[in-house]
Amino acid sequence: MKKERRKFKFSPLGIYAILAYSFLYLPLVVVIVFSFSPTKSIVGFSGFTTRWYIKLFNDEALIAALIHSLQVSLTAVSIAVVVGTSGAFFLVRANFPGKQLFRSLSQLPLILPGIILGIALLILFMNLGFELSMFSILMGHVCFTTPVIMFQVASRLQRLPRSFEYAAKDLGATPVKTFWYVTLPMIRTAIIGGALLAFTMSFDEIIITYFLTGTWTTLPVFIYGMMRFGLSPQVFAISTVVLTFAVVLIVLMAKFTAVRGEL
Amino acid sequence: MFDKPRAYIMGIPIIFWLLTIIITPVILMLIMSFRQKVGYDISNILTLSNYLEILKKPSYVKILLRSFRIALIASTLAIFASYPLAYYISRKIRKGRHLLFMLIIAPLWISYLVRIIAWRAILGNKGLINSTLMALGLIKEPLSFLLYNQFAVAITLTYISIPFVFIPLYTALEKIPVNLIDAARDLGANEFHTFINVILPLCIPGLLTGFMLAFIISLGDYIIPMQLGGTGGMMLGNIIWSQFGFAFNWPLGAALGFILFSIAAVILAITQKFGSREGMLYE
Repeated sequence: MKKERRKFKFSPLGIYAILAYSFLYLPLVVVIVFSFSPTKSIVGFSGFTTRWYIKLFNDEALIAALIHSLQVSLTAVSIAVVVGTSGAFFLVRANFPGKQLFRSLSQLPLILPGIILGIALLILFMNLGFELSMFSILMGHVCFTTPVIMFQVASRLQRLPRSFEYAAKDLGATPVKTFWYVTLPMIRTAIIGGALLAFTMSFDEIIITYFLTGTWTTLPVFIYGMMRFGLSPQVFAISTVVLTFAVVLIVLMAKFTAVRGEL
Repeated sequence: MFDKPRAYIMGIPIIFWLLTIIITPVILMLIMSFRQKVGYDISNILTLSNYLEILKKPSYVKILLRSFRIALIASTLAIFASYPLAYYISRKIRKGRHLLFMLIIAPLWISYLVRIIAWRAILGNKGLINSTLMALGLIKEPLSFLLYNQFAVAITLTYISIPFVFIPLYTALEKIPVNLIDAARDLGANEFHTFINVILPLCIPGLLTGFMLAFIISLGDYIIPMQLGGTGGMMLGNIIWSQFGFAFNWPLGAALGFILFSIAAVILAITQKFGSREGMLYE
């Protein structure tokens, strides 16, 4: 035990690890520190103020953007839970030709650069003659939240033994009852974890959303607009709020998806 | 519980999703890339002229090459930054390993925009580095070369890529059976030789997957170059964006988008063949 502790202190890899974690987290600390700085410019952290936070609460456009973001994310995730979960059953339980292709295509929204989906959806809406509105943004979000939930649930489903379901069936349960009382409780945490992950991604999303935004904006697009006039203390304050919210969601998510590799 | 026919019914929503908001938009983008801007209108005649225009314009080729270079630098840096860390956590740490793992990938879900703001706050004229150096009296004028160039873009893309790279590397390292390493040790290899001859070769699929993911993410980004790149740091994503914005040349933008799509598709196909599947995010 003693030897191990000493090893941690002196090994070059251990020192490197400390530096690497600092590299990952220091930038976020900078944002938080600047948000409490009383001076308008970001130089100097003389003193402490919560003035910028109070200003945020009085910014009606910002509050509206926040509400829009919550509306889009909650709706998108609700749709994605239904489409993704049923999709997971399809992926795991059905056999069909082209299954590998189906799997690869469904993964596209997660691994393609967001800009491609952004322009492709923009062209779709133009072809359909739709105005850019909440609906276009919502579709953009359904696009990438669905596979998040589908693959989370699918990987859980793959590991589930079928015996419980067969037992339920043998005991006379209808398919609906079997699903409700047997299967669903076993995949519930995967659905919740996937939904939280999808919500976090959706709430932050800007790359696709930026292409699909008309006058109706979400919070990240609104913050992006604020940044055009330089980094004001309000930008740091709202960033800190977003950061805190994200941390809460991540902690919740970690509780539900404790299995590594499912992330 | 779902027998075969029911499982097929379960597929209806997802197939609908796939057709309407993935496949159709991409096909429409492809068609758009063959159309042409005529005045304020878009003609319906399909030609290759947009692709030819891209090839003929030296400025586009230059930006395309620059995007490749920046993405290459960012993904290489991300690999070099993540690998020792993955090695350390997977091989040297026993307690709290999961927490350390989570701490590295958590930034993935901490707002992308906030992380960009953070780097602007560090590199800017009134930012952390400049204000610290000025307070220490080391410089009189802020160092303006920190922000609005390729360096700033590359470092931020590296920062964004690290969690993506870390996951497949860590998975690859964790999978290596301990008895393989014990065997190498028993045969007289020291830690360095074990690493070079046993551990590193077994990590190659994971390294490839991590590298490719970081490369694709970096190549297609447009917000980071917009915020930190200035004119000298413009990337492919920026010229795509401007075609849909003030340049208002959607067909040309769609052609550029389709080029990016094709590059990404080729890279993903290579990764699927040679890379590790387990480490792919969400897989």
